[in-house]
Amino acid sequence: MAAFLEISDDSKGHELSLFCVPKHYEDDLDSVIIPNGLIKDRTERLARDIVRDMGGHHIVALCVLKGGYKFFADLMDFIKTLNQHSDKSVPLTVDFIRLKSYCNDQSTNCVKVIGGDELSALAGKNVLIVEDIVETGKTMETLLKLLHECHPKMVKVVSLLVKRTPRSSGYRPDYTGFEVPDKFLVGYALDYNEYFRDLSHICILSDRAREKYKV
Amino acid sequence: MSTDMAADQRKKPGVVIKDGWTGYSLELFNYPEHYKGDLECVYIPHGVIMNRIECLARDILEDIGHHDMMVLCVLKGGYKFCSDLVESIKAQSRSTNSRLTTRVEFIRFKSYLNDQSTEDLHIIGPDDLSMLKGKNVLIVEAIVDTGKTMRALLQHVETFQPKMVKVAGLLVKRVPHGAAELPDYVGFVIPNRFVVGYALDYNEYFRDLNHICVISETGKQKYKV
Repeated sequence: MAAFLEISDDSKGHELSLFCVPKHYEDDLDSVIIPNGLIKDRTERLARDIVRDMGGHHIVALCVLKGGYKFFADLMDFIKTLNQHSDKSVPLTVDFIRLKSYCNDQSTNCVKVIGGDELSALAGKNVLIVEDIVETGKTMETLLKLLHECHPKMVKVVSLLVKRTPRSSGYRPDYTGFEVPDKFLVGYALDYNEYFRDLSHICILSDRAREKYKV
Repeated sequence: MSTDMAADQRKKPGVVIKDGWTGYSLELFNYPEHYKGDLECVYIPHGVIMNRIECLARDILEDIGHHDMMVLCVLKGGYKFCSDLVESIKAQSRSTNSRLTTRVEFIRFKSYLNDQSTEDLHIIGPDDLSMLKGKNVLIVEAIVDTGKTMRALLQHVETFQPKMVKVAGLLVKRVPHGAAELPDYVGFVIPNRFVVGYALDYNEYFRDLNHICVISETGKQKYKV
């Protein structure tokens, strides 16, 4: 199984005052569990592993909006840098899709794919699905079934986070940044009802804030 | 060191890394190929250092950012920390429309042989530090160990009559006879292990590694003097 950075269940994270956090969120967060810089460093390594495995052929990077966009942008930057500095580089094209399956913090069973170019354009290509977080794994399994019907050469999934949860179907991505506890996390484009996307570190949401920003 | 009451109250110990911390596995990060085998683990990733520095810069600006600052960088280990810290101070100061000017001077110490702190302490650098008189001085050090360097430097600087002197240390080691007083601004408090990277060297090697790592036995033997 691919290597990942484990954040343990009893990890309390860092005190908010030790990192720069937007003032308007200071009372909503319990702690910083993954600093932005650590995310960047881990992403840099993921980019290298991905290019090593998929760099032989045209890569189509498929970004799962909205949560995946920040991670997607940073990952693409690192892959592009690797492309620039090596003797052999690989064409990289991008596309964006949306999967609707969230309301508040309960993962519902409904998964719909919205947007994206003709999925038939993926035929014969190396497809890299870029996701922010895998929890039950059902979203990813549904998407993978759909994509296989387009006959890509190869499909791999990279997820920044994988949650340790009893609700997991057992699905694991090909590349994982961090394995995290089953707590409610926000920041670095992980939202809670559209809030916290403007927070650069991944933090634990306080119980009070869950009520405050409830839909 | 600091006689400012408000700043004393806020004097935070920094991010505390506990004694049992084994670091992160090397296979989870990027690092230069030429150090493969020479490192045991990644102790503090570069990105986390940068995030912590951003916060220190914010605190420093709040405390002494209203007057021109003289930054005294302790070479060679301090150069990365100083450069990134000053950049962050300038960037944050730009966005608040302040008129702060920062000037950087450099000073050198020779006090480590292999991985042991020696008795000798030589201060090399501008003999004439008279430009410090009446100014807010920020001493920037990469690592505070026994505290000897810090004390010697403070004594030296005080002779030039600065207005105020603060010390920023990226790493403070928990050692048996360690520095009695913490720097005013501390990045990380770490166990007593010999770390390299982010400009901290082992006989001049590893300064070109951007994460702070623990050197392996192989590495220690390979680069021994």
